[in-house]
Amino acid sequence: MPRVQRQASAAWEGNVARGSGTLGGATGTFDALPFSLASRIEKVDGKTSPEELLAAAHAACYAMSLAGELAGAGTPPEHLDVNATVTLDQVEDGSHRIVSSELLARARVKETDQETLDRLAQTASEGCPFTKLIEASATVTVSATLEGDTHGD
Amino acid sequence: MATNRTAEVTWHGDLMSGSGRVDSVTSGAIGALDVDWHARSEDGAAKTSPEELIAAAHAACFSMALSNGLGQAGHAPEEMKTSATVTFQPGEGITKIALAVAGKVPGMDDGAFQEAAKTAKENCPVSKALASVPEISLSARLES
Repeated sequence: MPRVQRQASAAWEGNVARGSGTLGGATGTFDALPFSLASRIEKVDGKTSPEELLAAAHAACYAMSLAGELAGAGTPPEHLDVNATVTLDQVEDGSHRIVSSELLARARVKETDQETLDRLAQTASEGCPFTKLIEASATVTVSATLEGDTHGD
Repeated sequence: MATNRTAEVTWHGDLMSGSGRVDSVTSGAIGALDVDWHARSEDGAAKTSPEELIAAAHAACFSMALSNGLGQAGHAPEEMKTSATVTFQPGEGITKIALAVAGKVPGMDDGAFQEAAKTAKENCPVSKALASVPEISLSARLES
């Protein structure tokens, strides 16, 4: 498969503590998103942050990977809900580090069991390119639960 | 103090023909963004992808780290524009991130700006988290 490039741009004015920025992706699907230091490490205030965007990236990456694993096992999901939480923390030297990303998945899949789902959920994380990258410096945890297929969408 | 940011994604069906959506995030700043494998792995996409979101995270993180470094040197930037380009090789992973910054920084010489940009690239939390990307390049330009 050919390689793919994705671009995003940020504009920033002023110093880190009182300045602010805006952010957009080249596809145009998000544009002029405000961000600031205060909204990154203190009150959210309706503004996004690098960690929130990484959480969105990880949730999307993992959802695709888990869909691929389930389909490969002959049980494509009817429905997946994936929740990713990325944690930024201050470490010993006073700098900030991304320390963890926690993945929670709820899957509605016919003809599978919890044990199989647990195994595929782990394989899916290992196969998600983003997990592979941040595992070098942060902890990635995965938990998946099977939803009954009796209640409709 | 630790800060948590959460995102919710829904997916239906298998990888190749299914589709998903970034439903919501902690701040509410983005939402209802469609994603699917074809848009992720082919050119000319009109949908976002994990790689585009990573590019946005890295561009924002680098901008803040550089504004911090410049401010500490007594030269807070008047304006900076940063782009991040993430290269994704399906089957292999993310192989490169290219950062490019152009800054208007009153009173600063090019050597010091290059040095500050390099420090920001090495130390911003997203760079640290993505340190295992095989190549992260930087191009920094001072505008008058």
